[in-house]
Amino acid sequence: MLVRFWGTRGSLPVAQKADAIQGKIARALLAASGREFADEAEAAAFASQTLPFSTYGAYGGATSCVEIEGADDAFFVCDMGSGFREFGIDAFRRIAGGHARTYHIFLSHLHWDHIMGMPFFGPAFDPGATVVIHSGHADAEQALRRQQEEISFPVPFDWLQAKFQFVTHEMGVPAEIAGVTVTLIRQHHSHDSYGYHFARGGKSVIYSTDSEHKLENMDSEAAFEAFFRGADLVICDTMYSLGDSVSLKQDWGHSSNIVAVDLCRAAGARRLALFHHEPTYSDEDIERMFEETKRYEELLREDRAPLEVICAYDGLEVAI
Amino acid sequence: MDWTQETAGGRVVGRPMGRVDESTWELFSQHLIAAVRDARSASVPLVVDLAGLDYMSSRGLRALTMAKREAGDTVAITLAAPNDRMREILAISRYDKLFEIADSAGPD
Repeated sequence: MLVRFWGTRGSLPVAQKADAIQGKIARALLAASGREFADEAEAAAFASQTLPFSTYGAYGGATSCVEIEGADDAFFVCDMGSGFREFGIDAFRRIAGGHARTYHIFLSHLHWDHIMGMPFFGPAFDPGATVVIHSGHADAEQALRRQQEEISFPVPFDWLQAKFQFVTHEMGVPAEIAGVTVTLIRQHHSHDSYGYHFARGGKSVIYSTDSEHKLENMDSEAAFEAFFRGADLVICDTMYSLGDSVSLKQDWGHSSNIVAVDLCRAAGARRLALFHHEPTYSDEDIERMFEETKRYEELLREDRAPLEVICAYDGLEVAI
Repeated sequence: MDWTQETAGGRVVGRPMGRVDESTWELFSQHLIAAVRDARSASVPLVVDLAGLDYMSSRGLRALTMAKREAGDTVAITLAAPNDRMREILAISRYDKLFEIADSAGPD
């Protein structure tokens, strides 16, 4: 399997402003002071090997959309945040190369930031495409139709040309979809959210976003530890610090980086991807959170196998 | 995780020993809540002396939050003498913004 992140930002799309770009350029120039580069490739190599990712790159600002490659003759995508638009453009490229025109979409929940890419999803206008919307919510179709009503968007849902199907899944009941075993777990979030377990050929990927692990209900975390058990990659909502999640931002429906580490450690997961980044965070803020999360894992590791912590960004690909 | 407690010098001092993790957080939480209630009954603050604690995972930190909620405005809680590892955990979790951290569990 291959996991490809098209959107990693939480709640609201964000874009870099000029001052953020200017700061990156200034820091790069300082780091390169006195050096000469034969060409752009040599300069790029220096930057990638020397500069922090927050300077050399950017975490991106599209909202939740994660593709999982590895199904039989179908695209697999978790959530239709604003990153879904770019996925759709890339899907056309791959279809031109012979890829099947079947899309299995797995919705964590129906909040705006997780469905806002749908009206801009080009393949929805492909009459030869089949789009299967999988959800734990029985009202998924209603949510998608409602956001394309005239008061919100000029193109109604009924004008879409692809063949749409809606499938509501039962919790904990594995479903075989295009060669992949898919299981859902209910999560604590306004109007509920659902985590997904994707398994194939002895490999597994977890998609668990917009999931608050409340301190009044820590006993329930055993279910998540079981759900995450032995996973090769856990993509986890790590929007806040623990301090924020239990104080100012309690009941906002999100979790923290260190609870994610603890759940993955207890589950024996191999890799954790920090995800659903706080929209007010700069690239430097996200990088600081990333470094702190790795450090927390080190501080508690003792004689356990290391948990690899990575930080998702728009465009990241992770081979499983 | 072991816990000892004393009331002296106008304070309740609770002393967890060992580590607080998935297997010990409930016991830690029970002791903490009881200590808050003891401090409230005595109308004194609570000091949690962390000197004997190796580390605390998120479960232990969240138990601290539950204790703080139990305390409300009636009992002041101070975390004292964290080792270097605990001090880092408190900073990473931003619990150093939620609790008063003292270098020593002493009365000064």
